[in-house]
Amino acid sequence: MDLRLSDEQQMIVETVRRYVAEEIVPLEADLDPDAGALAPDDFDRLVDKTKEMGFYGLDIPEEFGGPGLDTTTRALMAIEMSQHRAGLYNPCYGTFGGAGLAQLYEATDEQKEKYLYPTLRGEKKGCFALTEPSGGSDPARAIQTKGHEDGDQWVLNGSKLYISGADKADFALVFARTSDDPGRNGVTAFLVDTDTSGFNVRRVVHTLRSTHYATEISFDEMRVSKDQILGELNRGFAIANDRLSRQRIPYAAGCLGAAIKAQEMAIEWAKSRETFGSVLAEKQAVQWMIVDNEIDIRHARYCILEAAQKADRGERFRTEAAMAKLVASEASGRVVDRAMQIHGGLGMTKDLPLERWYRELRIRRVGEGPSEVQRLIMAREILGGSFK
Amino acid sequence: MKVVVCVKQIPDPADPGALDPETRTLKRDVKLILDESDSYGVEMGLQLVDNAGGGEVTLVSMAPNNEQSGLRTALAMGAASATLISDTELIGSDALTTAKVLAAAIKDQEPDLVIAGSESSDGYTGTVPEMIAAVLDLPSVTAAKSIEVGGDAIQVQRQTDAGYDVVDCPLPAVISVTAGVVEPRYPSFKGIMAAKSKPLDEKSSADLGFAADAVGWAGSGQEIVDVAEAPQREAGEVIEDDGEAHLKIVEFLENLKVI
Repeated sequence: MDLRLSDEQQMIVETVRRYVAEEIVPLEADLDPDAGALAPDDFDRLVDKTKEMGFYGLDIPEEFGGPGLDTTTRALMAIEMSQHRAGLYNPCYGTFGGAGLAQLYEATDEQKEKYLYPTLRGEKKGCFALTEPSGGSDPARAIQTKGHEDGDQWVLNGSKLYISGADKADFALVFARTSDDPGRNGVTAFLVDTDTSGFNVRRVVHTLRSTHYATEISFDEMRVSKDQILGELNRGFAIANDRLSRQRIPYAAGCLGAAIKAQEMAIEWAKSRETFGSVLAEKQAVQWMIVDNEIDIRHARYCILEAAQKADRGERFRTEAAMAKLVASEASGRVVDRAMQIHGGLGMTKDLPLERWYRELRIRRVGEGPSEVQRLIMAREILGGSFK
Repeated sequence: MKVVVCVKQIPDPADPGALDPETRTLKRDVKLILDESDSYGVEMGLQLVDNAGGGEVTLVSMAPNNEQSGLRTALAMGAASATLISDTELIGSDALTTAKVLAAAIKDQEPDLVIAGSESSDGYTGTVPEMIAAVLDLPSVTAAKSIEVGGDAIQVQRQTDAGYDVVDCPLPAVISVTAGVVEPRYPSFKGIMAAKSKPLDEKSSADLGFAADAVGWAGSGQEIVDVAEAPQREAGEVIEDDGEAHLKIVEFLENLKVI
């Protein structure tokens, strides 16, 4: 595997690194330590800048007007974009634009007009409503939200849990059981406007992310027309699988970015902080933590780049993407934990970004498929699909 | 308008640098990047060309090991082409030799304006731009914070300790630009992808007519005889706030003549 970057990739990395250092970090210094957004004026100004740079809408496929980045370059950018306090969940505070839900790219032309394009223009927000109180890791079996046909409409009843942004969304992608099949072949994806009668945001759910919350939503005799089905009836899980696997790679890369920054901070601190007559960097206990960090960081980087390169070559990369996600989220958690240990009391404070990364990296081991599900994906690939 | 911008490619300041114990010069056998102080010159050149409604910015650089990445960064920002003078004979060249070599590469291009950073971030001699002007027998203005073109002349705001001077200067001329006076643009995605296909002309010192003993260590008129650690900064004066601290601070600043 060739880990060298092309000249273009190197330049893109340097450009994003400069953008984070010059545009994001100075603004972040004046924000609340848990802030997830820039002041509107700053946000608009920086969006103009990323548009001028031609990097706005990074994840939008080229045929829909995006820059057409390959997965490796996108991962390299993600590594840089997360190297600031809010970088894990708000890389560069969204100034590189969003791409909307991956599934929308598989929508009908009418649905794209109604949901995808307004999302890309920043006019509409969507939310992804899959997980239920009965579970999220095995959604195909856990889904209890039911839909029944009534004329040219479907009527949905049920609830969803830990749904981000449902209270601010214009529409939701709702997965519901629409046949007697208890598994993945009985689930349909519906595009639902959040002002539809019967769509209720029941409560907010606070998480490790202090200023961010998830929601619980419920559907009470919610009527949805048949043309709101995304993809095919009972084939809701077949949509955008490739895109979703691909998304795990920048997700992993985001974890790695925080780890790289934490290691940089740990090294700087270890070289300058004196205790018992010498700097921390001269103490073997600290040296080994720094080395273990480096091992974790390189391991994650190799896994991410291998997955990305395979994806770019058009090879099967399901195992590699799952491995990258698992390794990066777990390794980065360890790196940040050690960096906090090296910083001592200072590491526990909100003066540094470490404590925020520490909390948010804990979520990354569960979000986008927990480590155990990533292992399950890999086991199926390694052992063959017949071993379930 | 044709603008030539001199750019230097230097070891990444973020990486720990090292001095060669024999020559007492910075080791340059590492990856080199565009000197940030030159990015201001590139930006200034691009803005002048944009304002003039036509023309182009070309780059001239001298590097020891055929390094191109710093030049590619400036090409990605929008420069049209580059000339790189690079061969092993050039290693050890002092500021005057560097100026002579750069001047030789610039001369053929017959530019309206030559722009350089006031000083590089590794060598800090701060003399090369004026030496280029002397070699080319062109007028020179140093420490420019803004340049306005009017016909065959420019008006330069020249940074001084007290403010700035306004200097009228005929063209062609050599101008050195102070760091921080413009905001260097980010290379765009398109610019980055196009940078590799832009013309980059590689030349040796011999191509420019220099004999081997006229450049490098052999041609240098200077020798670095000693390198010393920078002295530790002395502790500042601590003013305890006994209710009168603001007056003492004002007095302190007045003595420094900064207020």
